[in-house]
Amino acid sequence: MTDRLRITGGAVYDPANGVDGDVRDVCIENGRIVASLPNDSPRLDAHGMVVMPGGIDIHAHIAGSSVNHARRVLSDERTADPAAAPDLLDAVGRSGTGGTVPSTFTTGYRYAGLGYTTVFDAAVAPVSARDTHAQLDDTPIIDAGFFVLMGNDAYLLQQIAAGERDRARDYAAWLLGATGAYAIKLVNPGGVELWKRNVRAVKSIDDANGLSGATPRAIMETLADAANALGLPHPVHIHCNNLGMPGNVATTLDSMRALSGRRAHFTHLQFHAYAGGADKPWASGAKELIAYVNAHTEVTADVGQVMLGHATTVTADGAVEYLLHASSGRRWVNVDIELETGCGIVPYEYRDAAAVASLQWVVGLELFLLSDDPWRVVLSTDHPNGGVFTSYPELIRLLMDKAYRDERLKGVNQKLLAGTALADGLSREYTLREIAIITRAGPARQLGLTSKGHLAPGADADITVYARDVNVATMFAMPRYVIKSGTLVVEEGQLRRAPATHRLHVRPQYDAAVMRDVSSWFDRYGTIALANYPVAPPRDAPVPVGASA
Amino acid sequence: MSEMPGLVEHVTCLGCGCSCDDIVVAVRDGRIAEARSACPLGSAWFGDGSVPTDIRVRGAAVSIDAALDAAATMLDEARRTLVFLSIDTSCETQRAAVAVADTLRAVVDGVSSSSVASGILAAQRRGRVGATLGEIRNRADCIVFWGTDPAARYPRYASRYAPEPAGLFVPDGRRSRTLVSVDVGDARGPRDADLRLGIPVDRELGAIAALRASLAGRSLGEHPLAGLADLSRTLAAARYVAIIYDAEPGALPPEPGRAESLMALGLELNATTRACVMPLRAGGNRLGAEAVLTWQTGYPMSVDFSRGHPRYRPDEGARALVAAGAVDAVLVVGRPLGLPFAIDAARTVVVGPAATAAACAIAIDTGVAGIHEGGTAFRMDDVPLPLRAPVPGPRVAADVVRDLAQRIAARRARRS
Ligand code: SF4
Ligand SMILES: [Zn+2]
Repeated sequence: MTDRLRITGGAVYDPANGVDGDVRDVCIENGRIVASLPNDSPRLDAHGMVVMPGGIDIHAHIAGSSVNHARRVLSDERTADPAAAPDLLDAVGRSGTGGTVPSTFTTGYRYAGLGYTTVFDAAVAPVSARDTHAQLDDTPIIDAGFFVLMGNDAYLLQQIAAGERDRARDYAAWLLGATGAYAIKLVNPGGVELWKRNVRAVKSIDDANGLSGATPRAIMETLADAANALGLPHPVHIHCNNLGMPGNVATTLDSMRALSGRRAHFTHLQFHAYAGGADKPWASGAKELIAYVNAHTEVTADVGQVMLGHATTVTADGAVEYLLHASSGRRWVNVDIELETGCGIVPYEYRDAAAVASLQWVVGLELFLLSDDPWRVVLSTDHPNGGVFTSYPELIRLLMDKAYRDERLKGVNQKLLAGTALADGLSREYTLREIAIITRAGPARQLGLTSKGHLAPGADADITVYARDVNVATMFAMPRYVIKSGTLVVEEGQLRRAPATHRLHVRPQYDAAVMRDVSSWFDRYGTIALANYPVAPPRDAPVPVGASA
Repeated sequence: MSEMPGLVEHVTCLGCGCSCDDIVVAVRDGRIAEARSACPLGSAWFGDGSVPTDIRVRGAAVSIDAALDAAATMLDEARRTLVFLSIDTSCETQRAAVAVADTLRAVVDGVSSSSVASGILAAQRRGRVGATLGEIRNRADCIVFWGTDPAARYPRYASRYAPEPAGLFVPDGRRSRTLVSVDVGDARGPRDADLRLGIPVDRELGAIAALRASLAGRSLGEHPLAGLADLSRTLAAARYVAIIYDAEPGALPPEPGRAESLMALGLELNATTRACVMPLRAGGNRLGAEAVLTWQTGYPMSVDFSRGHPRYRPDEGARALVAAGAVDAVLVVGRPLGLPFAIDAARTVVVGPAATAAACAIAIDTGVAGIHEGGTAFRMDDVPLPLRAPVPGPRVAADVVRDLAQRIAARRARRS
């Protein structure tokens, strides 16, 4: 344990506190940042290095029933990526396997090895929350939380159809606490329930399609309002309808307009930013979409960049995965889950010789490069959907190094790229300050994590120290030091310690009257006793909500 | 003297993979007087809650400390160890057992490799279409029991999941559903099916292939079985099909290709309607062992840590390794019953319920997960459930295995 530590001489990037590469010391005591330390405190020499808060991943798939279904089906790819146990000083290291969906221990070690210290799983079926907590308990070093799926919950859809918005809010509040979740997630609102009914397309956000009044618009409005009324630290987290379809930028813009003026997070924008369709070829819709986002400060987003190479698509959006399976001929897993949500998995490869994959790669980069506000448009690859989290350093290089980006651009399929902003030449290069925002300070602010993503006194001592390198991908791939809750976990580039982790979750208040109704719903349609449904409350205190937040 | 019975509600039964969680256990004098709502199989699984409470090293009663030291020594000194995840353990215990295997660079396996490997491998090759039981209960309007009548080995399946209960989209329960029974040789489906089809054992895969052909718009072949065309039409007309078969050995005639063929049928049905394929699985939290192995190693069974990282060895599971004499120590975690290999008494450690009933070198009796120990177990559809502990047991298996893991790690640390 490092009770006290002074990191000296590094160039500090702490954008939340207006620090932009200034050389200064960072002091740590008992797991938190402090203003100063006695002179004889232990020192860590960071001269010539870059100091940032620990990385925060706002949207990844690392723990849960769907992730485990993916691990299981990927037995062939993981043989090529064994992960030996690290030699740790404070714990017995555990071995594992990598590939696109690593085993739990390997997930924690690899994130920490990249300087990431906090990760959110973006899609957990309520009924499987217990599974997710158990997997996160076996995911070392990183603090973690998850978003619980509500956009196709049959009980909620009924309440929304009946206009029972208060009851929907109370149910959402109960479900967040019962599952130990951090935020409300909507995946293809209404569309997954329709897929289970063999209705395979959502034509517009006002298309009820037999869900009576529970249109995608009504689902998004009700749950956006619920999250905001409950004062959740993170607003509703939305994966829009029509993911991956040409022309879907119209749906995405409609969804954003539907929630105009409401705080909401739109995830993996890249997968929702395509023009074309209806007999027209695929095209980039990035310019149009990012213009809306730039102009509307209530919107936050993550990009969901596609990285060329292997990936695994794993989503609650079962309908999309069927189409991917049908068009690619690849293996497909579908699991329909308990009147709550779905799960689809297709192992995939984004090939630079493929026209659509190349377009997707370009669309993501355009979103980054045309974004006016790094605080609101942050980095993700929707791991492992667009790419594996270990590719973040490569993505950072693409953003910071125009010459490299141009070189890569020449190597991809050009068929659909004519007229894209990127092909026309975008000269922007992200600065280290902007990288610190899109990988740390921005996600922390979007998530409402007040003690993470910055280095002011009182903040969690989650810190990454990078040695500079002409190749920024190398720099970001191999931090020299990583500190988690004040403990030195990476030392001279080696993983050395695996301290205890924290679970990030909320437990909002609700009107208990809703439970009468929920109880009779469970009696009629449930396969689990209501008394057995909630998980054991996580050890860590919940993150405050509402007025106290 | 007899007290009033205490009642423990919402108890989860692990008597079969249905994992019914509505059991009310009546406890009198520290014993289970009754397991209300349980079927006869479940009642037998609960029993009266009495389990042996001993600790033995080569037949002699010893302290837990002495037994764990002896076990740590034996396992640590072995060249090649098998850690076997048997039944009636919680996921918490299984997690600790896989940690032991990792530290020992052992082989770890569970009951699945010798019972349902063909289905697991088929899903890895081809993918799968699944559903949780609540989805089948609430949505499936066509239930196909393939050579399987759940009444025998999954007694409450029909009443809790399908076809009996009313559901959100099948409001009249059984009457809202078409029940199909496919009899494979002598393996018969439910008696009251709406549609019945008999398949000779040697024509099973051919019949599935013919069904797939017909659903894809091709012909049923030259000499189709009687009733196959009806079944094909019924499947195509259904809104949501659930194809259900007993995946555990002993019910259907052995047919290694069945799992993959049925899965292919299920996958293809989704081109036009919605469908899932549900293998019925037995109890004791065997699905938990697969889930834990998968999240910790990436593989659901037959994992070899001998090179310092997990390798998938589906052809060299516990049964094959022991038969080949390839291991010189075995740690069984869980009940030492129904193991796919013969215990070599001199080289085996058992930590689990009634461990001391097995002829083995070191035996540490623990409680039964779900009767004496809480924790988590997985239902046959991979849904996790909490376990309750209606009566006290000797000692908690997870604690024992964690302690063993620490002792082994300490020995290794001293050496390095
Ligand atoms: S059906 Fe299975 S789980 Fe349910 S009570 Fe009977 S044995 Fe137990
Ligand atoms: Zn995602």
